Amino acid sequence: MDRADVGGLVQSAVDGDAAAWKALVEGLSPLVWSVVRSHRLSDADAHEVYQTVWFRFAQHLGRIREPDKAKSWLASTARHECLKVLKSLRRLTVTDDPQLLDRISEDRTPEQSLIDSEEAAAQSERVRRLWQEFEELGDRCRQLLRILMASPKPGYQEVSAALGIAVGSIGPLRQRCLRRLRARLEARGAV
Amino acid sequence: MSDDDLDDLFTEEALPDEELALDLLEEELRQATAILDPVPAALRQIAVEAFALHDLDSRIAELSFDSVVDALPVRGGPAAPRMLTFHAGEVTVDVELTAQGLMGQVLPPRSARIEVLSGPQPGAPLTTDDMGRFTCEVPPTGPFALRLRTDEEVIVTDWLTV
Repeated sequence: MDRADVGGLVQSAVDGDAAAWKALVEGLSPLVWSVVRSHRLSDADAHEVYQTVWFRFAQHLGRIREPDKAKSWLASTARHECLKVLKSLRRLTVTDDPQLLDRISEDRTPEQSLIDSEEAAAQSERVRRLWQEFEELGDRCRQLLRILMASPKPGYQEVSAALGIAVGSIGPLRQRCLRRLRARLEARGAV
Repeated sequence: MSDDDLDDLFTEEALPDEELALDLLEEELRQATAILDPVPAALRQIAVEAFALHDLDSRIAELSFDSVVDALPVRGGPAAPRMLTFHAGEVTVDVELTAQGLMGQVLPPRSARIEVLSGPQPGAPLTTDDMGRFTCEVPPTGPFALRLRTDEEVIVTDWLTV
């Protein structure tokens, strides 16, 4: 879904076309979800932020100045809402609890959806190992790669909006992070 | 984003072969994500239904103050109330959220019928007193907005997560 498509769908949705709205949700949900998942929120918080982003998008639909930049709007709204939830968690809890952030990140991988059939077992083992190495990357790489893993692959404009970093630094950072992941897999004999 | 001593990695340009390998790895990660952490179907459905929130006839009251962002953090102790202020032109809506519920006031004072929204479906109804004050004894959780109906107009606050 390129920018012109998104702009056209936003315009149709503004005019009341529910099918256009549905197409936007189908096309852009993975981006929103990836941005949300790139932050270390609990599952419950991640679900709530995802909803808030779409509620706000629906509410602001006819008021977004540059409809063809809706992808960046969604990415940046998701980022800000995630940061705010993280901040409010820190506020609402006694602040000298050093375990807080570790606790938040527990149980966040939904393995229940892992495909189960026997012929897929070998493949899923590789997927699981890849995922595990990815999860163990440092925050910076984990966050960038989780956003890049949205399907379809987001453009650097959206990644920039989602991370709050310059477009020009994304390419080199991506390369370093993928290299690092590859090195980890190689070290475990998993390539 | 403060960890990761990334500089220990070689920084020269990737050779074409390596570039291809990294592209493949990224694609493999994308497929793994689709299997292990897809958008939950129920959430996607909620987003589809959110089209009902598209309403060009109401005014949006923008969030202009949020104590989570704009106030100095309170150290220790029980949870401090979360203070929110929304503005729509000359109308201000102040809201205070605690574990006990919600209190608020419409300024300048006016009576309004208020709904506490948590999604596209109608929310719990509240009524203000003559001073524009309102309370709700159920603390909101998750996505949150207020819809205010006065004799003249409908105002909806910005959505946020509480």
